[in-house]
Amino acid sequence: MNSLPTQFWARVVFLLQRYGLSYLKGAGTTLLISVVATLFGCVIGFAVGIVQYVPINRNDRLIKKIPMKILKALLKIYVEVFRGTPMMVQAMFIYYGASQVFGINMNMWFAAFFIVSINTGAYMAETVRGGILSIDIGQTEGAMAVGMTHLQTMTNVLIPQALRNIMPQIGNNLIINIKDTCVLAVIGTVELFFAAKSVAGTYYTYFESMTIAMIIYLSMTIAASKLLRFWESRMDGSGTYDLATTDTLAFTSGMYPQIKDSRNAMGTKDKEEAKNE
Amino acid sequence: MSDEILRVEHLGKTFGTNVVLRDIDFSVKKGDVTCIIGASGSGKSTLLRCINLLEEPTSGNILFHDSSILDKSVNIPAYRAKVGMVFQSFNLFNNMTVLENCMISPMKVLKLDRAEAQQRAMLYLDKVGMTAYINAKPRFISGGQKQRVAIARALAIQPEVLLFDEPTSALDPQMVGEVLAVIRALAAEGHTMVIVTHEMAFARDVSNRVIFMADGVICEEGSPSQLFQNPQEESTRAFLKRFTQG
Repeated sequence: MNSLPTQFWARVVFLLQRYGLSYLKGAGTTLLISVVATLFGCVIGFAVGIVQYVPINRNDRLIKKIPMKILKALLKIYVEVFRGTPMMVQAMFIYYGASQVFGINMNMWFAAFFIVSINTGAYMAETVRGGILSIDIGQTEGAMAVGMTHLQTMTNVLIPQALRNIMPQIGNNLIINIKDTCVLAVIGTVELFFAAKSVAGTYYTYFESMTIAMIIYLSMTIAASKLLRFWESRMDGSGTYDLATTDTLAFTSGMYPQIKDSRNAMGTKDKEEAKNE
Repeated sequence: MSDEILRVEHLGKTFGTNVVLRDIDFSVKKGDVTCIIGASGSGKSTLLRCINLLEEPTSGNILFHDSSILDKSVNIPAYRAKVGMVFQSFNLFNNMTVLENCMISPMKVLKLDRAEAQQRAMLYLDKVGMTAYINAKPRFISGGQKQRVAIARALAIQPEVLLFDEPTSALDPQMVGEVLAVIRALAAEGHTMVIVTHEMAFARDVSNRVIFMADGVICEEGSPSQLFQNPQEESTRAFLKRFTQG
């Protein structure tokens, strides 16, 4: 075994040469858990946010009213509990609690995805609710006035706009998850922090190992935020539009671009036929 | 009375202790163009919103083809599809293009297929002179253009009655002109409309009946010539005086 160099950067290089793969694997695990859990969290958040936004009308029958109220109450409890307790405690509570009380030995991977997802979901539920609230009531009334149902209004008008509005917050959650998955070390998930700590312990090189971890975490979060910015600008679409041709006859017969194309196609075909003759 | 589309009976609306509408009675027949005038805060908009059930009336009844729409069994979205509404603040869907704004309700509510919906949307966009802008999102077009698209959107479900809630109040004088021209054309085609407006000259020209509201009640109603030239009530005279002088 090579002996440990004395200089700081030499030690960093030494650790990377020896344990580069451990760091890389740890970073991969961190990234995988945070991306997947953020996605699931968004799905949970949208589901919860949408259910909480369902109106209960005076005219609704009790069979719809009562289950809806119970569901809303349960979701509210879910949001409060998971927003109001630390993820590290939740991780131990769920992972060890499940095996001790219910005899369920959770797969560590499943536990990791599950814990981060429901945690993100609890935050996202409120974010989605805020996103929907941020869209002026006029558009909802406009949709209602043309006869759209609550569900149609949600899926066609409100959710697409809410999604765009909460993109910065989704990005926030992704970045928080990249960092906070380190608490999963308590249930034995070998993510970046766990890997860095193990390496640090081997040679007692905490400063060096954590420097590597810091740089990797920072690169991941910066990459994530850049990527989300890019995605946002894609969602905003073009900042301009083309005036349509004023040939209104083309429009009323259906798909106007196709009609133009087919006309051209016909034209060239006719010419070719004429040549052949 | 078979051509009566809407009848409002003893309609009342309170917000908390604030009485906004009291004992409103009127009816709309097929082909009627009814203008509702009156000072801001007199309950005109609330009346219109009650007719479309955007507000729930607290008393009285609203009949659509002789059956109450306040009945528990009424399918409210289906009813609203027969009563179009144009808002003061346009309320276009910002995530859709002009064309999509007009196609969404024929597709989702009337379940037309895409080609039919597009054909219909184009028909009404042509009517309001907006076919050139079909690819634009609402944020790119002017207020008057937005309102014309909103009118096309309301027409695309082919409602039996079209309600206008101060359609020109958010527009500058030139844009007011372009929107009113569209509404005049619709009136000439025989569309049934109820229009809340502050444009007195327009109300006089376009409608066959005018309702003057003050403090949540119908103060006076009659033909435009009767109401504008020979108002019976003191409050009507006082209200109209400000407009004719101004």
